[in-house]
Amino acid sequence: MWFRLASCVLVTSALLAGADIRGTIAIERKLTRRNVTASAGMYQRGSTVELGADSEGDALAFERSHVAVYIESGPNSVVSSIVKASIEQRDRRFVPDLVVIPAGSSVSFPNFDPIFHNVFSLSKAKSFDLGNYPQGQNRIVTFSSPGVVAVYCHLHSNMAATVVVAPSRWAVRADGNGLFTLKDVPAGTYTVVAWHKAAGTFRKTVTIGEKGDAEISFTLPYIDSTDIKPVAHR
Amino acid sequence: MRFATRTFLSSFVPLAVLLVISFWAVRAAVIATVRDSLRAAVRDKQLALAREQTRQETRDRKLLQGVAENPTLKAGLQLLALEHKVKDQARNTVEDQLSEICDSLNFDFIMVSGARGEPLAAVIREAGGFAPLSLIRLHTPEQGFFSVDDRLYEVTSVPMHEAGAQVATLTVGGRFDISRFGVPAVLLHKGAVIEAQMRDLAPAQIEKALATCTLSADCELRIQDETYLSLPLGQTAGVGGDSYILRSLQNVDAASAPLQAVLRKLFLITGLIAIAAMLAISALSSRSIARPLADVAAHLRSSAATGELPEFRENQSVVQEIRDLTQGFNHAAKAVQESRERLTRAYVQFVGSLAQALDARDAYTAGHSRRVSELSCAIAKAMNISEQDLETIRIGALLHDLGKIGISDLVLQKPGRLTQEETDLIRQHPVIGKRILENVQGLEAYLGIVELHHENWNGTGYPRGLKGEETPLHARIVKVADAYDAMTSDRPYRRGKSHAEALAVLRSVSGSEMDSSVVEAFALLGDLRQPAALEGTQSLRSLSQAVRRDAAPQAAEPVTVLESEAS
Repeated sequence: MWFRLASCVLVTSALLAGADIRGTIAIERKLTRRNVTASAGMYQRGSTVELGADSEGDALAFERSHVAVYIESGPNSVVSSIVKASIEQRDRRFVPDLVVIPAGSSVSFPNFDPIFHNVFSLSKAKSFDLGNYPQGQNRIVTFSSPGVVAVYCHLHSNMAATVVVAPSRWAVRADGNGLFTLKDVPAGTYTVVAWHKAAGTFRKTVTIGEKGDAEISFTLPYIDSTDIKPVAHR
Repeated sequence: MRFATRTFLSSFVPLAVLLVISFWAVRAAVIATVRDSLRAAVRDKQLALAREQTRQETRDRKLLQGVAENPTLKAGLQLLALEHKVKDQARNTVEDQLSEICDSLNFDFIMVSGARGEPLAAVIREAGGFAPLSLIRLHTPEQGFFSVDDRLYEVTSVPMHEAGAQVATLTVGGRFDISRFGVPAVLLHKGAVIEAQMRDLAPAQIEKALATCTLSADCELRIQDETYLSLPLGQTAGVGGDSYILRSLQNVDAASAPLQAVLRKLFLITGLIAIAAMLAISALSSRSIARPLADVAAHLRSSAATGELPEFRENQSVVQEIRDLTQGFNHAAKAVQESRERLTRAYVQFVGSLAQALDARDAYTAGHSRRVSELSCAIAKAMNISEQDLETIRIGALLHDLGKIGISDLVLQKPGRLTQEETDLIRQHPVIGKRILENVQGLEAYLGIVELHHENWNGTGYPRGLKGEETPLHARIVKVADAYDAMTSDRPYRRGKSHAEALAVLRSVSGSEMDSSVVEAFALLGDLRQPAALEGTQSLRSLSQAVRRDAAPQAAEPVTVLESEAS
């Protein structure tokens, strides 16, 4: 009993003693194109909405903040934990449009728009169809297997969100500056994945010793600029 | 009317009329051609537009068929069909979808209606965005035009299929802008003008004019005295009573007006220049035609003024007819001249014969008149008298004793002294001579000599008793010659005086009876008489021969000295 307790404490202390993996995501150019869509609440007689303009703000910050970073594999200690995330439907958009969760977590899809939405996914990791539901209603989906799940709305083809289901508990989104921290990672050698919807998946190996944090950086120019062709010109 | 004016008018007027007519005709033809080609151009343009409109509609239809397959919209329609609890939100959802479609395809109006044609949702473009449309008063044709809040929309529809069955109809439309055609157009609904680009035309006028046009054909019509061309644009014309008709309506006259104006100006200028040129040419040609004639006329006028009939210089004019005319005139003038000369000759012969016949009454006075004439001429020549006066003196001297015709031979040939009564009778002869000659035309010049050859320088003569130079010089010369011939001629009762004696007598009365200047001139001549070659009387024949040679008075003639007592 004591031993077990001790071992438990040991494990706990070992976990507590784990170091952080700090990293940066560098993205040099815009990878996706975003359009503003009118707020669904504005579709009432007499009111008007401007459509089609690119959203404002720092485009590269947007890209950097849409990178999911997680530990894919490592020594014995790659374990999962359950969180509850939420993707809201506001103004005919999924907010947020990217969630990174450990496998087994659930995501709720509440509808805050004055119109119907119909959330579904056909992804291999998790396929579901939540049906039409109006404002104020909510649906919850549990994602048990890791993978990237693309979420859409049957009624609004421009609505899209991604649920990245990580195989470990160390799963985060980078911030606008491209910074991320994977906290309390025990010593060992890990494969760290950086995933971007358009850029793809990038893997790097990092080793964490007994003491001290590890640093890691990703650069995501996934294709040469010469290969980029505007879709409209094809 | 003058000949020059006449030729000018006869050349200018027909030419001008011809020119004006031909210019007018050419101008009319050119303008008609321009108008026709313009009309053809307008028609081509309108046809192209109509074709383009049809093609656009076809393309729109194809695009719409793509839109009709939009799965989200279909999902929306399903939602609308199934959801009864929150119907408004369901419709909002579809309206939202429609707005997106409308925006991405740049339509101004979009509507879905159910299988039975009932409107389900509709959205319309407002300033800067979209707004849902109330379905209550929405009566949209599947094809054609409809209006919302005074805005006109041109719509077209496609069916939406689900599993092979039509479940809905999608109707989209654009705001109708009549000016987009590039040609003036007019939209009619049930024969009434809804939309027209012709601001200056009243709709009623357009309606009335277009009523004559058939639906599908192009037609030409007249509004306010101007020609318009109208063609149907596209296939938007509906069927039945609720038909919309879209036609082009272009003013052909207005389109050709600037060109017509230019042409009018051009023709006016060239016409004026041509008329001016014609004016100049006509004036010149009429001058050149009339000039020779005017010359001839001027020549004739001048000859009429002088009484002469001068001949024209030969080949003066380059014009054949004028040459012929002048030649003809020359011939005529020559003939007149000749006949006049012949007349003069005949007259002179007659006068000579008369004088001889007079002289021949008395053997002693035979040849007296002729000799006086010769002498007078000699004196006149010596006094440098002109040729014309010389001729007057010659004939006047021949006639000077003509009045003796009226005096009896008994008195005239009476030997011995005459009684006072007889002398008075004889002194009548100048007046008688004058009276005889007075009535003969052309002998006026000789009256002075005949009447006044017995006047004395000092005024003691008869019949008028004129003094000095009151008596004409001609008469004074003839007086001297008469006296000399009388003195030097033999008489039955005496022999004639010699020249010297006669001259002495003349000198003695010079200044009293005779004009001294004439006597002096005579004295300088010397004795003109030849020694008498022929004696005795001469036959009348030889006398007339002598007279016939009177044309040359200087020629010396054999003289028979006779005396006229009365001279």
